[in-house]
Amino acid sequence: MDRDRVTVPEGTASGPGRLLVAVYGIFALAASARAGVQIALRFDEAPVAYLLSAFAAAVYILATVALARPGALSRTLAWAACGVELAGVVVVGAVSLALPAAFPEPTVWSAFGQGYGFVPLVLPVLGLLWLRRTAGHAPAVRV
Amino acid sequence: MIDGLTIGLIAASLLIAVFSVVTAVRNRPMSMVHVGLLALLEIGLLVQAGVGVATVLGGDGPEASATFVGYLIGAAVIPIAAGFWGFVERSRWGPAVIAVACFVVPVLIGRLEQMWTGTA
Repeated sequence: MDRDRVTVPEGTASGPGRLLVAVYGIFALAASARAGVQIALRFDEAPVAYLLSAFAAAVYILATVALARPGALSRTLAWAACGVELAGVVVVGAVSLALPAAFPEPTVWSAFGQGYGFVPLVLPVLGLLWLRRTAGHAPAVRV
Repeated sequence: MIDGLTIGLIAASLLIAVFSVVTAVRNRPMSMVHVGLLALLEIGLLVQAGVGVATVLGGDGPEASATFVGYLIGAAVIPIAAGFWGFVERSRWGPAVIAVACFVVPVLIGRLEQMWTGTA
C-alpha cells in the first residue's frame, strides 16, 4: 500500500473528491455530535432512533476516512460505506414516513434526510459515482 | 447572542463563500487571501465560542446547553479543518471546499441563534 501511495498521487481524495470528503467530514461531525448528545442525555426516550443515529454517524466516519485515504482496502471500505449509507437513507426514510411511531425522534436519515436538505440522500449516490469514475485510476491499473 | 457579532459572522462567512465560488469558477487554487479571510472569520468564531461557553458556565445559557456548546465548537472547528483540507488541493476544488464550509457556518450560527432565543 505504501508503494501505491508513492506512485499514485491521485486517488479518491483529490480533485472533486476533495470536496466530497469535505462534505462527508461535515456530516460525520454533525451526525456524531447529534448522536452523542442524544445518547448521553436522552437515551431512554427513543433508543432505536438514537442507536440508528450512532450507526449513521459511524458509517459517515468510515466513508470519510475511506474516501480520504488511498489504497485498495480503503476503496473497498468506501464502496461498502456508501452502499450501506444509501440503503440506510432509503429504508429509514421510507419507514419513517410509513410508520412515524417507529422513529419518534428525528435521525439524519428520517424522511430521506429532509432535515439536512436531502444531502444524506444525494451524498452516497455521488460517492458511488465518484468511486466508479476513479476506479480506472486504481493503483493496479496505473502502476 | 451578540447581535452585531452574529450578523457580522454570517455576512463574513457568506462573503468568503461567494469569493471562493468565484475562485473555483475561475479555475484557480486557494490563495493566501482565502487563508487570511478564513483567519479573520476564525477569530470572530472563537470570540463567539468564548462568550457562548462563558454564558453557559455562568448559568444563563439556553436549555439545551450541550447541543449549544457543540454547535459553538463545531462552527469554530469547520473553517480550520476546511482551510487545511482545501489548501493542500492545488486546484479549483480547494476553494470549493472553503465555499461549502463557509455556507455551513451560517447554518450553524442560525441554529445557535434559534437555541439562544428559544425558538427551537
